[in-house]
Amino acid sequence: MSTAGVVHIRDIGIRLGDELVVMVDTLDMDAGEVVVLDAISGAGKSTALGLIAGALPAENMSDAAIHRLSGIDITPDLPRDRFSGPTKLGFVLQTNILIPYLTLSENIDLPMTISGDTADADWRAHLVRALGLAGITERMPTEVSVGQRQRATIARALLGQPDLLLLDEPVSALDPVNVGQVERLIEVLAQDANSAVILASHQAARPAFADARRVGHKTEERGGVLYSRFADTYAGEAAA
Amino acid sequence: MTGLPLTLAVKELRHDWRGSLCFIAALVGVLAPMLVVLALKNGFIGTLIDRLVEDPSNRELLAVGSGAYDLEFFETIGERGDVAFIVPATRSINTVANSVRNRPKRNLERAVPLIPTAQGDPLLGDLIINKGEAALSETLAEELELAIGDTAEMIIGREIDGVSQNAIAELTVTGIVPERLYSRYAMFISLPDLLAIERFRDDRTLTPETWRDGAEEQDSYASFRLYAERLEDLRALEGALTDAGAQVRPRAENATVLLLFRKNLDILYAAVALIAAAGFWAAMAANLRGVVERQRVSFSFLDLLGLSDRARKSIPVFQSLILVGLGICVTFIIVLIILVTINAGFAGAPQQMVALLGVWDVIGTLILGFVTALTASAWAVLAIDKIGTEEVLRHA
Repeated sequence: MSTAGVVHIRDIGIRLGDELVVMVDTLDMDAGEVVVLDAISGAGKSTALGLIAGALPAENMSDAAIHRLSGIDITPDLPRDRFSGPTKLGFVLQTNILIPYLTLSENIDLPMTISGDTADADWRAHLVRALGLAGITERMPTEVSVGQRQRATIARALLGQPDLLLLDEPVSALDPVNVGQVERLIEVLAQDANSAVILASHQAARPAFADARRVGHKTEERGGVLYSRFADTYAGEAAA
Repeated sequence: MTGLPLTLAVKELRHDWRGSLCFIAALVGVLAPMLVVLALKNGFIGTLIDRLVEDPSNRELLAVGSGAYDLEFFETIGERGDVAFIVPATRSINTVANSVRNRPKRNLERAVPLIPTAQGDPLLGDLIINKGEAALSETLAEELELAIGDTAEMIIGREIDGVSQNAIAELTVTGIVPERLYSRYAMFISLPDLLAIERFRDDRTLTPETWRDGAEEQDSYASFRLYAERLEDLRALEGALTDAGAQVRPRAENATVLLLFRKNLDILYAAVALIAAAGFWAAMAANLRGVVERQRVSFSFLDLLGLSDRARKSIPVFQSLILVGLGICVTFIIVLIILVTINAGFAGAPQQMVALLGVWDVIGTLILGFVTALTASAWAVLAIDKIGTEEVLRHA
């Protein structure tokens, strides 16, 4: 078990109302490693990704709780820019969110613009070319297809060559023909960037990411509260 | 970080240019009529009232009947801060010359009113009329064809035991009182000359040859000419004079009414402007809040990407300032065109602009717009404060 990798998490969670708690019990990842959050729709995969990324306020669920990203211990008081930013975290969300009033190019560059970092020009060109966005980057999001929008969000997430890439159902809006192609692209480009990848998906049995390690999921009810728990140690249980 | 929020604010406004135009049009729709009304108030009504205020005649309090006002009265009243000018006068019967003549031109005008004057007379400005001098009203000067430097013959008549006698004084014309200040026939003369007329008519021992020799002051006077410092002082001064035993009435009764009208008009305009501004403020606040609601996911995503709270909150503030700034610019252009058209249409109106906006009106509009823009965006800023990263993560 690695403790000095990209992700090292023990016993963190978040309460969503009075009746649901989403927890990440254990998760360890090294650079370039890929894991799949394998759970049914509605299990709280998006919330778990937010927890892991430190985008949601995590609660320590035990005395042994640890939340460490890229070697940085995340505490409630730690400013986001200390552990976040495009060189540390990249997001691809299922609704392929783009800022509607910015061009694809401006959207791709936005995280770097916010952080004040400078993108590697060759890597940017490689991303744009590999994702089939050359020639359309000056278009507005409403002027391109759903698939092109999704590829632009992938380019945006990978531009800073982040330590950790979080994918939340990244191909759910695509037609089946494009799904495999886009997933393979993500896999290859993430490898090029040496990013650790967490894929949240309820269709985990596809060819791309087929060999990836699974993070299992289970639910249990205690005192009228439903605990939705993710852990890489549950992989066998989930598969069972 | 100012650059990125400003860029995002501008890009969103440009992207939603129809919405932005509607917003600007709404501002112009409220602001332009208000400024045109203000310009008309300033130009038409303001000029009318300013003329009234500037005309010293409207500040004159006329002594009613004859009294007995001693030197202490004149000293006391003259020292008041609300008194611009006071000079003693004789009984009104003695303030008329039987005639005034321009001997070389053989022009003569009968029953010419005589007005006592002294240093500081509002109708004469810096001109001082000494004994043996006179200033003529412009209309009288034209009638008699007299100009400055000419000699006007003043003829004073009396009747003793059925015999008519005339005394003549040759007065050097040293000033002409413009028609706008005094439109009727009149001759302004020094107090000693006026007193001489009264003595000549009252004292049969004086002859037409010696009538102007004698005391140049008296212990008591029958009347006076008095001007208030300002129109607003008339009422209080009238009361003070009444208390001092002098019955007076304003020469222009409606001047104070107009003054009150101006004050009420200012209050009325301020009230209408306030209501309009409040309405626009509410519309603007709601519109900006609506923009935040439409862009809720974007604001949440910007939070996820690490854009600081302060930067996110400044976006609607910038948008508000930009929209109001553009709205005010467009308003000024439209209002300028309207004002030029109105003023050109009333070009015949003498010495005045029918519609006029002052520098302070423009500055006031800019300040009001700036304050409105800042405060109206507060609701949107508060709304952004409640948008966190979880919204975009759960958005599906």
